[in-house]
Amino acid sequence: MEVQLAKSYIVNASKRMRTVIELKIKDAKAIGKMAIVAILVVVIVIAGVASYYFYSTQTPPLKDTLIMGTTDSVESCLDPARAYDFFGFEITQSLGSPLVEYKAGATGSAADIIPALATDWQTSSDGLTWTFNLRQGVMYNSSREFIADDVKYTFERGIGIADPDGAWVGVGIGDIIDSVTVVSKYVVKFQLKIPFAAFLSLMAFQACYIVDPQYAPKAGSSWSVNDVVLYTEGDARASNPMGLGPYNLKSWTRVAGKDTEMTLEANPLYWNAGAGYPKTKTIVISFYADSPGLAMAITAGDVDVAFRQLSTNDITTMKTNTDLKVWEGTGAFIQYLCMQEKYAPFDNPTIRGAVAAAINRTTIVQTVFQGQAQKLYSMIPIGMFGHSDAFQAFGDPNYTLTRELLALSGFNENNKLSFTLWYETSGHYPQSAQQALVLKDSLEASGVISVTLEGRDWAAYRTARQEEIMQAYIMGWYPDYIDPDDYIFPFVESNGGSWIHHNYANPEMDKLIAWARGNTTDSARNSLYAQIQTLMVQDCPIIPLYQGGAFAVSRTNVDGIYLDITQNWRHWLVFARQ
Amino acid sequence: MTLRTYIVSRILLTIPMIFILLTTVFLIMRVLPGDPVLLHFEKMEDPALIAAMRVRLGLDKPLLMQYFDYLFGLFRGDLGKSMQDYSSIGQQIFAAFPATLELAIFSMLIAILIGIFLGVESSKAYNSPKDHLIRVFGIVTYAIPVFFLGMILQMIFGIGLHWLPVGGRTYQNMVPTGLNVGPVHFSTGLYTVDSILEGNILKLGTALKYLFLPSLTLGLVLCGIFIRLTRSNMFETLRLDFVTAAKARGLKDSTVTYGYALRNAFLPVLTMMGLQFALLLGGAVLTETTFSWPGLGRYLVDRINFRDYTAIQGVVVVFGLFVALVSLAIDLLYAYLDPRIRL
Repeated sequence: MEVQLAKSYIVNASKRMRTVIELKIKDAKAIGKMAIVAILVVVIVIAGVASYYFYSTQTPPLKDTLIMGTTDSVESCLDPARAYDFFGFEITQSLGSPLVEYKAGATGSAADIIPALATDWQTSSDGLTWTFNLRQGVMYNSSREFIADDVKYTFERGIGIADPDGAWVGVGIGDIIDSVTVVSKYVVKFQLKIPFAAFLSLMAFQACYIVDPQYAPKAGSSWSVNDVVLYTEGDARASNPMGLGPYNLKSWTRVAGKDTEMTLEANPLYWNAGAGYPKTKTIVISFYADSPGLAMAITAGDVDVAFRQLSTNDITTMKTNTDLKVWEGTGAFIQYLCMQEKYAPFDNPTIRGAVAAAINRTTIVQTVFQGQAQKLYSMIPIGMFGHSDAFQAFGDPNYTLTRELLALSGFNENNKLSFTLWYETSGHYPQSAQQALVLKDSLEASGVISVTLEGRDWAAYRTARQEEIMQAYIMGWYPDYIDPDDYIFPFVESNGGSWIHHNYANPEMDKLIAWARGNTTDSARNSLYAQIQTLMVQDCPIIPLYQGGAFAVSRTNVDGIYLDITQNWRHWLVFARQ
Repeated sequence: MTLRTYIVSRILLTIPMIFILLTTVFLIMRVLPGDPVLLHFEKMEDPALIAAMRVRLGLDKPLLMQYFDYLFGLFRGDLGKSMQDYSSIGQQIFAAFPATLELAIFSMLIAILIGIFLGVESSKAYNSPKDHLIRVFGIVTYAIPVFFLGMILQMIFGIGLHWLPVGGRTYQNMVPTGLNVGPVHFSTGLYTVDSILEGNILKLGTALKYLFLPSLTLGLVLCGIFIRLTRSNMFETLRLDFVTAAKARGLKDSTVTYGYALRNAFLPVLTMMGLQFALLLGGAVLTETTFSWPGLGRYLVDRINFRDYTAIQGVVVVFGLFVALVSLAIDLLYAYLDPRIRL
């Protein structure tokens, strides 16, 4: 019995032991599972925190492709011998390279000009000889190197073709450059006909971008307009005579003379590729018929960047859109009022001065452009060296002065100065009709001026200017090269300004302009331009009105946009993060 | 008159029509202020260069000689060169026309489908709230400016819902190539047709996506007149004896309405289709601008700004021919649909 009891005790004890052991094993397994789960949770949390930390401190990678929207279109072709339009220049800058270029954020001073295909340069003391040392090892393709002969070829080609549609004739480059000589493989010399202070700026001008002789050949024994490289359907390479720029033209389609799509692809042989340019591998350009279409596209996210042309209203609205970023910069576009000086009443500088004193620029800037423009008191734009607010001498407005000046010619409240103010109606200039209305209000507020408005589309306006039938007319100007000379010589020099047909000529002015053109010292030029602007106030041949702003709109992940006075759109600096 | 004689006489009548149109445009363009030569010289104005440009553009010749030069060119099938960029007008028009044609076809299709359906429904529910609603819809769509309607649709479907693109004809690298079998290459320039010929469903879908909003805009603007016309014709037809007889025989309502009554009421609608095509081309000018559609309408506006005489004349000739051909096609369809009319 005792033995049985002992046996049962032992059996029970062993059972209990087993149970306990089993339980312990189960517990251990459970604990093990829990531990694994806990470790996993900890690992996941740590990984999560680490990755969050990692990615929050690391900037997202750049997008390979960026889509740009514009209402512009290449006007004729991409050949620097003919291209003479804003968008043609914009693409030229991406497909080619000049000897020198303006750095991003430039103000137009000579110090802003930096090396491109030329590494350094010297000028002779008389300003008639310029020598450039060229960058070595720059390649058109794997076997052809860029050398001094290509520079000579480019300039002789542009001057030789002398396309009347092109900038070479428009700016008169052939009247400035006498000859181009190859000194050695990497040294080229320019001999000028006249001392020309803005020569470096001219070298940065898109018309002077270097061509690739292989894609810009000479057909006959001498150059002719037939040598201009035109758009070739289905062959982007044949449509592009350049080849040293940050991008290659991958595709380009046009329908009925208007671009429908363009793709730029990074050029691996670009001379500045080592510095990481271009930032975006592929740029696709989409074209829109008008500014509402472009505004819709950037708002809907169809494009990453919208540049030219968005309306003042659209830009104002977009400033409050948190999905968009509005980029503002200094514009080089100016508008001004011309008066026909061949006939009375504007053959009298006192009357022209009276009109200048009755202009309220604040209403133009605030009412017409909603603050997206600047009041301009000089033909030289704000932000460019040589600028001074000379026309502030007339007030803004100063109706007392207007009345006093007009009284000298017998005009008063009962015998008002009456004239017709002409403006353009087809969008060649921004918001022209509104400008004309505001100007009329501003002038008539003097109480001694009466204005009749007359609008014409650009083609008819252009003819009216030629026929010199417009008494007073609003004009606009985009610069060719970034220098005060390009804002003075074409307006108030007796020959240079003949195209405006306002018939102003003053030998004193011509003399000052010739000195300023021939002097290469910034300080001396500054002083001369101050004198020129003072003389402009005295003669009042032309009245500056406003300076347009430069605007671009992008999605918020886009960066690298620089809008400076050069008006250059640098595709190679723009990028978007993913 | 046999059908063949009729077709030949209609085609022959097209010639003086185009001739009158062309002469009028030729003269009007030259009377308008604005000189295409001066537009080449915005800044520089060397008289020698201006004179050389005048010779280059053929504008140095007497007006009558310019006119006959153009006519002789036209008879040879040469529409001349652009006075702005010296390109071949024939090539430019040939490149832009398919976009306008595709937009016109789809817009007309939408206009007819919506117009007839709502017109029929309106006539069946005569004087009911449904009838009034459809009539108001018809008046509103007829009266609304095409660019305004386009912008509203862009804001809803493009910006608000992100369903459809707001402009352009297709996405980058999605231009269909058409039929490519060995050395044979054939494309129509109509992206929808070319996508099918290429056998690329993705490109077809993309093309339709881009085509939808402009076609809907133009189609809606045009549908108002079809609603009113269908409604008034159907209202009378539905009350005729043969319709009652068809109903009495137990035919389905839809068969009676669309199979019997509509066929009788359709002839005036068909006539209107022909007339609307001319209006449609005018509407396409604005629609193409609103939706950045690269067609002939945009080309024409652009060229008028440049006083590009040859380009404007070329587009007018093509538009005139297009309208004449559509009118002829409508007349033939008219004869086919109405057995009483035999030419």
